[in-house]
Amino acid sequence: MFTLAYPSTPEEAVDRLARAAPGETAVLGGGTDLLLDVESGRTTPTELLSLRKLPWRYLRWERQSLVVGSTLPLRALEVDPKVRTQLPGLWEAIVDVGSPALRSRATLGGNIGRCSPVSDLLPILLALDAQVRIVGPNGRREVPVDAILQESRRTTLGSADLVEAVVVPAAAPCTYLWQRVQPVNDISQVGVATAYAPTPPHWRIAVGGIQPRARRLVEAEGLLRSARPSDFEAELAAQEAARRSTFVTDRRATESYRRRLVSVLVRRAIQRTLARVPPVAGGPSSSP
Amino acid sequence: MRFRTDAAPKAEGAVVYAPDLEAPGMLWAALVPSPVAHGRVVRLDLEPARRQPGVVAAVGAAEAVSLLPGGTGDGAAPVFPSPEILYHGQPVAAVAAETLGAARAAARAVELEVEPLPVVSGIEEVFPEWPTRVALPHPQVVGHVHARRGDVDGAFGAADLVHSETYRTPGVHQVALEPHACLAEVSGDTWRLRSSTQTPFGLRSDLAESLGIPADRLVVEGTWVGGGFGGKGGALIEPYALVLAAAAHRPVKLALTYAEEFQLGRTTLPSIIRLDTAVKGGTVTGRRVRLLLDSGASLPGRDFAVGYSMGFLLGPYRTDTFEIEGYAVRTHKPPFGPHRAPFAPQSVFALESHVDGLARRLGVEPLEFRRRNVWKEKDRTAYDQPVGPFGLDACLAAAERTLRDWRRGLPPDHGIGVGCGFWSTNAGEGGEARLELRPDGLVIYEGEREIGNGSVVRGLPTVAEKVLGLPASAIRVAYGDTAKAPFDSGVYGSRTLAALGQAVERASRALLATLASRLGAATSPTLELRDGHVTVVSGGRRVRLATLLTPEERTVGGLVAEGKFYAPAHRLDTSFVTDGQVFPYRDFTGGAHLAEVAVDRETGHVRVVRYAAFHDVGTAVDLALVRGQVEGGVVMGLGTALSEEMRWEPTGRLGNPDLLDYRLPRLRDVPPLQVEIIEGFAGAGPWGAKGMGEPPIIPVAAAVANAIADATGTRVHELPLTPERVARALKLL
Amino acid sequence: MTDRPLKLVLNGTPRTFEEVPDAERLLDTIRWRAGLKGTKEGCRTGDCGACTVLVNGDPSLSCLTLAREVDGDAVTTVEGVTRETVGRAVVKAFEENGAVQCGYCTPGFVVALSGLLAGRSPPPSTEALLDGLEGNLCRCTGYAAIQRAVAAAREAVR
Repeated sequence: MFTLAYPSTPEEAVDRLARAAPGETAVLGGGTDLLLDVESGRTTPTELLSLRKLPWRYLRWERQSLVVGSTLPLRALEVDPKVRTQLPGLWEAIVDVGSPALRSRATLGGNIGRCSPVSDLLPILLALDAQVRIVGPNGRREVPVDAILQESRRTTLGSADLVEAVVVPAAAPCTYLWQRVQPVNDISQVGVATAYAPTPPHWRIAVGGIQPRARRLVEAEGLLRSARPSDFEAELAAQEAARRSTFVTDRRATESYRRRLVSVLVRRAIQRTLARVPPVAGGPSSSP
Repeated sequence: MRFRTDAAPKAEGAVVYAPDLEAPGMLWAALVPSPVAHGRVVRLDLEPARRQPGVVAAVGAAEAVSLLPGGTGDGAAPVFPSPEILYHGQPVAAVAAETLGAARAAARAVELEVEPLPVVSGIEEVFPEWPTRVALPHPQVVGHVHARRGDVDGAFGAADLVHSETYRTPGVHQVALEPHACLAEVSGDTWRLRSSTQTPFGLRSDLAESLGIPADRLVVEGTWVGGGFGGKGGALIEPYALVLAAAAHRPVKLALTYAEEFQLGRTTLPSIIRLDTAVKGGTVTGRRVRLLLDSGASLPGRDFAVGYSMGFLLGPYRTDTFEIEGYAVRTHKPPFGPHRAPFAPQSVFALESHVDGLARRLGVEPLEFRRRNVWKEKDRTAYDQPVGPFGLDACLAAAERTLRDWRRGLPPDHGIGVGCGFWSTNAGEGGEARLELRPDGLVIYEGEREIGNGSVVRGLPTVAEKVLGLPASAIRVAYGDTAKAPFDSGVYGSRTLAALGQAVERASRALLATLASRLGAATSPTLELRDGHVTVVSGGRRVRLATLLTPEERTVGGLVAEGKFYAPAHRLDTSFVTDGQVFPYRDFTGGAHLAEVAVDRETGHVRVVRYAAFHDVGTAVDLALVRGQVEGGVVMGLGTALSEEMRWEPTGRLGNPDLLDYRLPRLRDVPPLQVEIIEGFAGAGPWGAKGMGEPPIIPVAAAVANAIADATGTRVHELPLTPERVARALKLL
Repeated sequence: MTDRPLKLVLNGTPRTFEEVPDAERLLDTIRWRAGLKGTKEGCRTGDCGACTVLVNGDPSLSCLTLAREVDGDAVTTVEGVTRETVGRAVVKAFEENGAVQCGYCTPGFVVALSGLLAGRSPPPSTEALLDGLEGNLCRCTGYAAIQRAVAAAREAVR
């Protein structure tokens, strides 16, 4: 069994992590995943480092970006009207994760730290090219979310690094679509995020439910050359996305079904995003 | 308007369920699971567990034998495997400790050495090809049924069309929200058990037989049941708790985790069903039904499901030329167990899909095809039993009107399906009721607690209320353990109101007869409550009950009457049965369902848009309760139809023992639901009531599957109808 | 850490619990230390909602909450919720609409719905309330009677 530690400053937390033996200390965010792992014996940390006393439960807008403190519950993003209008794809990814009570605990920081291949949040963060603010033994730095993700429960974060905040550019019309056995409170078989960004490459496509982790599909993005791709171009990009993704068969879906889903959902997501692009293509504002 | 007396206490959290039980000096139990689905226990060392802090007792096969008065008890089904392990997670030992944490830690410390043996994880491993003739005895066949009526070969030989299909259904779990839990205590020579059970008396006889404890030394007290659905019938966890309590000489509490609930539960198991129908001149002339049913670790001769299912696979259709054959296939899973209308939803999914497709092939509107062929009151069943009052055609007629309505303006990619089925109230052995009429009201004394449908807390008092004339506020139900309460078979088979209700009705009439004789009246009096006093009304005369009671009756117990209802023996001419056993049915009820679905033609995702259920209930003794059963049964059926599936790996391990991947219907999944109650076809219960706990789940998967076929022209032959399965049927991958 | 007592404002009353292990779930503190068994233990993995309590007014899964993570917070269980006007109205609506069968899930629904309704004037839409209950499983009622009860409770607290 473990004990709990409550660092009250980021520096104290990092210091504690830096001094811990490997595998002994686990970082406790919302705990929705970690506590199940501990209960089942999948991980056996002797200490959990609780982030609850750190001043990271915030949401603020910095210029064109949404900055989300890493311990802010998803629920707070879900009920924020500006998030819903400015980042409809992010809102779509959040609103169907688990139940409201679960969303009151789950966090963006936890999603990044756990790096689950079936996370509904990672594809949209990738499509929006979110930046992650990290605090570690050598101070603070900011890196793209894409540079952090590796595989399930594994990231490039150092053992004493903590996610402090996630910066989500809000200038891009975006969409998140998923497929599940049942729509409510279920795990996505695949999730697809698309965004139309003001800077090149304009079209971004990211897919989750693939191995080893959610990722951008730049080859498919490259097939979308105009601000208003035709249905045919969208279809070509979707096929390319399906072709370039690595799928596996597991208890939730087979490899071939996941491939099929990506080829359908990427096209639909592009079309829905297109409907959210203001008439003057590439403009900074968006409408859902 | 009167409401269930248990509703507010339950909503306030004031009702004690088995997982809430505590007793002075209580220990907590944990089970030691087998790591393999098939194997031999080579070495079991409990000493490391006993050395753990807080541990009071650790027991395995050897301890169970020495602690049970009957020694090994039922040698064929020992408490712990000795030495053969039959399914993954099967408890090989159990530990009791001062805290749950200590018990779990100690369970992990038990040293277990197992020699793995080859695992048979499913039917296909035993029969990779459909067996034409299985030489019996067969090591993996634990039950066989074969029967034939009429000239089947002739019918198929002369047919101008033979419709042949194969269907598959998966394992399905009851998933009562309350996990199994019990509290056991052994003092002197009395073995006491408090458990969440649908059948306190059935549990007692089950344990007496399997553990060798004389029934009169075993006392079972049923607690409130947090959902049963068939999963809390016979013994499951109770033997472990009893053996631990005997070893520890202290009360022992055992509650399953949800993962254990999934791994150890006695559930519906997978099947393969083959149906062939011969048609000549547009008329069905013969049918062949063949069933391979996974029976898990069921013992030879103990399988009930194959024979029980055969009638459902023939359906509520006039059939006098048929051949049925079924095999119970032994695999390394827990034994097959009952689940709300055992295996009927699966049978009906196959048959009703088959009938629907046949109707379409014949160019007949599927609902109309059913109306032409279903039993009417004067018909006889496939087993040549009289059908009697049976409202299925009336249900279909009502459904036909709704169907016409829904057909108007049906959007593209939407479809409407119909499914229908019958149920037969299973009266069980029977039941008894003791009524105590006291100066201030009536007490109905029962041995079984409410499991949720309301038949005990509300149904039984309603029967007494209607006979006696007393207001509901003057009637209460009191509960006792098996040592004190009158016998009843338990809550299963949709029997409580229909069968036990008759015992209450008889006891109520006996009370009135006694009062009539005390008054010297020729006719039965009625009762009323005046200023809190039970008052007897007879021929315009009002007498306080108290004045008619003996001094003893006034002080203790009141005026007592007992009523018994034991089901009449049901004879079936079984000369057409060549092997095994088929079951007679009785007291038929029918239901017809309509589902409208929208199918995503690119992904195979199915959304149920709206749903309607029409049920022949005999007489609705309590409309709110009936409605609750229909709504609840339909939604449980939607789970069976769309998402519920136990997935075993080739190793025999259950791959989805949790609610994340065993997906139940949730609030936002549920479509608008229309319920129509059809009365006028009297059943055998009080005032013509028929049992309604099980019928509503039966036609659901069939209705949804037929709606998908209606929307797409493609039939899915396997449950559940997941997006991926539909996508495959649509040839999208 | 372990030697420090755990403090909760439990159903409005400050309570102190000694020797609470850091790993203890709030669910177990409530049921076995405080003896409040109205909070039900279901799946213990956050999927069924039977263990829902209010933490500082918000519906929370007590099975996925470490007791020490809510040290000092206000925790309200079904026993506390149903002493208040809103909770009583919710219980009445469930009773009158036949939304209680086996009852094992009911306290979770009552707490979650009361949490969504309390102190909100006007109350959220029925649709929003139903969305708010999507984490609560019921196996008996098919949710139909529960939906009727939610609409009735909303009307009652308006």
